[in-house]
Amino acid sequence: MKAIVARGLRKRYGSVTALEGVDLEVESGEFFGLFGPNGAGKTTLLRILTGQLAPTAGSARVLGIDPAKEPLKVKAAIGIVPEVESPPSYLTAAEYLYFVGRVREVPKLAEAIDRWIAFFDLEETRGTICRDLSKGTRQKLMLAAAFLHGPDLLFLDEPFINLDPIYQRRLKDYLLGYGAAGHTVFMCSHLLEIAEKLCDRVAVIDGGRVIAQGSVAEVRREEKDLESAFLRLVGERR
Amino acid sequence: MSVLLRLMLKEEYRMHAHYSSRRMFLAFPVIVGVFSFGIGVTSQRLLEVTPLADAILSFHLSAFLYGLGVGAFGFLGAQYLERRHGDRNYIVAMPALLPMSFRRTFLGMYVRDALFYIALVLVPMTLGLTASVPVTGFRLTSIGFLFLAALLSFLLGMSLSFFVSTLYIRSRIAFGVAVALISAAFAAYALFRLIPVESILPGLAMHYGLPPFAPPGEAALVAGLAGAGLIAACVAGALLVVPDQYEPRSSPAREELPRVDARLGLARSYRILLAKEFVDLKRSGTVAKMFFSFVTPLIFLSFTVWFVRYGLRAPVGFNSVFYAGMVGFFGVLLYNWLTNVDAIDYYATLPVGVPTVIRSKLPAFLVLTTGISTVFVVGVSALNGDLRLLWLALPVMFITSVYMVVMTAYLTGLRTNSFLFDPGVLARFSVLAMLPDLGLTILSFTVDRDPVFTIAGISLVLAVLAAATLTLYRGIEGKWGHASFTE
Repeated sequence: MKAIVARGLRKRYGSVTALEGVDLEVESGEFFGLFGPNGAGKTTLLRILTGQLAPTAGSARVLGIDPAKEPLKVKAAIGIVPEVESPPSYLTAAEYLYFVGRVREVPKLAEAIDRWIAFFDLEETRGTICRDLSKGTRQKLMLAAAFLHGPDLLFLDEPFINLDPIYQRRLKDYLLGYGAAGHTVFMCSHLLEIAEKLCDRVAVIDGGRVIAQGSVAEVRREEKDLESAFLRLVGERR
Repeated sequence: MSVLLRLMLKEEYRMHAHYSSRRMFLAFPVIVGVFSFGIGVTSQRLLEVTPLADAILSFHLSAFLYGLGVGAFGFLGAQYLERRHGDRNYIVAMPALLPMSFRRTFLGMYVRDALFYIALVLVPMTLGLTASVPVTGFRLTSIGFLFLAALLSFLLGMSLSFFVSTLYIRSRIAFGVAVALISAAFAAYALFRLIPVESILPGLAMHYGLPPFAPPGEAALVAGLAGAGLIAACVAGALLVVPDQYEPRSSPAREELPRVDARLGLARSYRILLAKEFVDLKRSGTVAKMFFSFVTPLIFLSFTVWFVRYGLRAPVGFNSVFYAGMVGFFGVLLYNWLTNVDAIDYYATLPVGVPTVIRSKLPAFLVLTTGISTVFVVGVSALNGDLRLLWLALPVMFITSVYMVVMTAYLTGLRTNSFLFDPGVLARFSVLAMLPDLGLTILSFTVDRDPVFTIAGISLVLAVLAAATLTLYRGIEGKWGHASFTE
């Protein structure tokens, strides 16, 4: 079963074209990586697939739901970590998780909050308002908020950013286990080294168009690693 | 410093022009000038009911309070420095990255705002009065002295506010002591008459020593120098207090969202969103800002009524119903604050739509405003000996408040500040706000002449407003259902 299907997605902001005819398929249980240079359209694509933005043209299905027509249904079914870590300024870390859990109607909420607070070692900062948290702690909180309801599909935009190596490893291990349990991950990242270890399939996007798509080996071709392949693919177009 | 100041002036201008528009921004001093011209032309009548010395006292107190209001750079700067997310940053925060001092940027803020307000308010006001000279026969020297004395009072307010607010960055106790001392000085004058007000406001003392009160002499010079000295001392004190390194204050908080959530059972599906609104409002200090932004127009309204009654001598019967309609109208300012507490990007990741968040703000508005609005209307009615109309005034206040906030929410969603500067939205807002308000105002003036007609007319307007409120409330879903939190 396909977890994500995009057909001819196009997005324009005034005279600027952010996406142009994007076709994409992600199978259920797949760890999918989307890479591209700055301004390539990665975040725009992720926001369209998660119901945060409506496409100018084209269509998409996420877990069988059209995100443009039923954005709330899509958001209820998935977990999202946005590009910018921006939890509400005046709630404490624990209150933010409580808020997310109440909005998502998470059963046994107190247990779920404690689990993720413990996973990211947020005990000391659970009573600190988010405005006063460090970037890394806010990122952990955004990850915890996305995992809280145990979704089948995660959309992660630069999930490793601001995390120290300890939590990068912890997150990597969690995501590998999450994928092994049959869940799907769609991740945008510039950290190709990490992505190469995690992803089953990848796509490279540049100038709003998908310029390569396939398994890591297919995209890498004769290059030694994904980074070299990426530089070749994007460099050819410069 | 000159480069920094030039860039800060540009930044300030662009920020204001962004909030309104270049034209609206540049129209502001023109409006001040025209208003000042109007005051000048009607000054003879005004002075018949308010002696010149009292009018000048009110003027200096206003200039001083205005300065106090705009000079709190300690608070403002701290707010900019603590801005850790959001898409705007300001030059004042640059010392964190560049080899320059916070003292320099804070001084830059002070000088920038002094120049801005002098150019936008004091100079146009002086020009307006000067334009009225052919009608009033004011002496140009008196107008010049008025400008100088007002400048002194304004800058003293600004400098004092600058100093006291920077104390807050260092120590809340020192801040509390300073506020208590200043309050004590004003209480010594206002409540107990222990000291003359001129000893607190050297600008006023200088003014009383100049024409038309007295020929220019030593007293005015001493008062002027004392005022300038005080201003310099406050600015120097503030700059000494500004830290070299800014460390944002950490605010530990008790976990109270679940408790507030549990108490709001009546709010049903909006419960958690409403609970978050209340916690946000409390912790962000927005309630105090909302209070002042609500009270300020009410004071302005009282001043306008005074001006119309005694300055223009217009035979207008202001009563409780008139005030009630106006209070309802000002409710829009509070809704605007509710949409400005914090960034809302995080909602984009949750299964919540823009209409739901808009609707969750409406009960918050009602809880926050109903009490204060009722107190104001009852208070004004009691002061004016007009309690007989309270039964009519209170429904007017309540229904216009709800109508105004729902209409504003419908038209502007969660970005009231931005949308009200869109000419199309502003035009619709003006029509939808002005028409009922005008109707209620005119009807309120006829209540003593033809009570039956007035009550029937007001009832009809209120019924239409109630129906419009319901329609607009239902329309929020259709209008904002596809809106994004991040676009």
